[in-house]
Amino acid sequence: MSTTLIPATAPPPARVDLSGIGPPLHGAGALRQVLVLSGRSLRVLREPALLVPNLIEPFLLLLLFSQVFRSLAQVPSFPDGVSYIDYLLPAVLISMGMTSGVKSGLLLSTDLRNGVITRFRTMPLWTGAVLLARSFADAALNAVELLFLLVIGALLFGYAPAGGIAGALGAMLVALSLAWSVGWVFMALTTLLRRPESLQQIGGMLTFPLMFASNAFVTTDGLPTWLRAFAEVNPLTHAINAARGLALGAATPSMVLWPLCMCAVTVLVAAPVAMRGFRRP
Amino acid sequence: MIEVAGLTKAFGATRALEGVSFTVPEGTVLGLIGHNGAGKTSLINILSTLLPPTSGTARVAGYDVVRQGAQVRARIGLTGQFASIDETMSGRDNLILLARLLGAGRRAAASRVAYLLEIFRLSTVANRAARTYSGGMRRRLDLAASIVGRPQVIFLDEPTTGLDPEARHDAWDLVQQLVDDGTTVLLTTQYLEEADRLAKSIVVLAAGRVLASGTPAQLKAEVGERSVTVVLGDGAVGPAALAALERANLTGTYDRARRSVTVPIHDAAMVAEVVGCMNEAGARLDGLTVVEPTLDDVYLSLKGSAATGSE
Repeated sequence: MSTTLIPATAPPPARVDLSGIGPPLHGAGALRQVLVLSGRSLRVLREPALLVPNLIEPFLLLLLFSQVFRSLAQVPSFPDGVSYIDYLLPAVLISMGMTSGVKSGLLLSTDLRNGVITRFRTMPLWTGAVLLARSFADAALNAVELLFLLVIGALLFGYAPAGGIAGALGAMLVALSLAWSVGWVFMALTTLLRRPESLQQIGGMLTFPLMFASNAFVTTDGLPTWLRAFAEVNPLTHAINAARGLALGAATPSMVLWPLCMCAVTVLVAAPVAMRGFRRP
Repeated sequence: MIEVAGLTKAFGATRALEGVSFTVPEGTVLGLIGHNGAGKTSLINILSTLLPPTSGTARVAGYDVVRQGAQVRARIGLTGQFASIDETMSGRDNLILLARLLGAGRRAAASRVAYLLEIFRLSTVANRAARTYSGGMRRRLDLAASIVGRPQVIFLDEPTTGLDPEARHDAWDLVQQLVDDGTTVLLTTQYLEEADRLAKSIVVLAAGRVLASGTPAQLKAEVGERSVTVVLGDGAVGPAALAALERANLTGTYDRARRSVTVPIHDAAMVAEVVGCMNEAGARLDGLTVVEPTLDDVYLSLKGSAATGSE
């Protein structure tokens, strides 16, 4: 095979001092790992080209929904003394939270296809670090989007709910909780299915009917009986009620706590499934 | 430092590994040779905790790869066949991310990474996205990524496949330096030459079993020697050449069609003897090649002896 006359003698290697690299490292603490990985996922916040589409989306949603559906405020069952934008905006917050949750799953599947994930698996990395980092980063990005939605709602669309700024921020927190729990469900699905295409379909199939068969755009009183029955058990209706109640300054504790508890329970179920799925080679 | 005993891995009905056992003492290199599908990558994946074994045990740096995976992961580095880096980030950011995850503080990580980029000759491209790197740069970044945390044990899965000769020499130098530094290295390769050059001991893997193991010298003795082939010039000197070799206590075989004589040799100095014999026979030389035993020779020879041994 080889055609050397005399066994090859390599040129003397350039000696480098490997100890100059530094002492051996055995892994950072779990919290540090989550923070470092979240920072990596949040690079998007530093790149305007990537952030802008995320901000255009809420603007379009608000513009279309407020213009297309504004006549719905004339329906007899619509609450008196509430402008349609004040009624609609919390629902748009929830809708964006839902979308953000689905996106968590898609972004995780991109993470899992990255070559570096194999290296992570051979490193002293806590199993939950990659997932938790995804969850944190998405929550931060979602918070920026939701805040942006509130600001343009107030500045351009005349959003001025009775609950004031505190109420609006409360509504935003409900949307964030929903995004967080839906995010864990879709991350669990990602680690189980590992197929972004099917994930996107599941996301679309769930989001669309759940949003429309709810009290997002109209009061449930105006719906046909069968749809109304569904809308009243639809978890999104409860999340929207909580967000709307807080924004309009008319929330009761059970109205807010019930959806938040549902979110927490969802995470408690989905997170272990996601971690188990992630560990699977 | 690495102890493997009776390791078996089955993927459904396919048995990738079948009772593999060997040990690698601390601070040495073991060369694991075998063709594609021999089970090399499955073995590396089990030892680096990526895959659970079906049966058998493996200990790395004193820890069981199944029950103490976390401790194993804290002490190993892996360079697989495909670069395990984030293509969207720069070389520097890749290494900093790993250093930070391994526990280096912000400033310590920066200086550690600057040093690594320097010794891997990546400083000039450090801030470019890794996806723009050439194959050689990518491989160097991947190797640098494997030693960011100065692991005790390093697994290199075909580290020189697809590299140009210069880059291959660089990789070999690095392995040598890692060993000088006290690191234990398990290296897989398809090239006997590479294992020969770097490894104190060699394990030959075929169809998931250990076909042979030993020092390079022992294996070669089993396989057969190197040989020198000379191509003779004009003139019917073949028989004369063989006679001259015989007088020097060498045995050659003459290939009439190629006008060549092949002589097995033990060491490089014998090349001169062979050339001397050709001069003595009055033969002009048109060419000379030294042929090293190849992995194929090892396979064929070992499989042959395995077959006769079982009869």
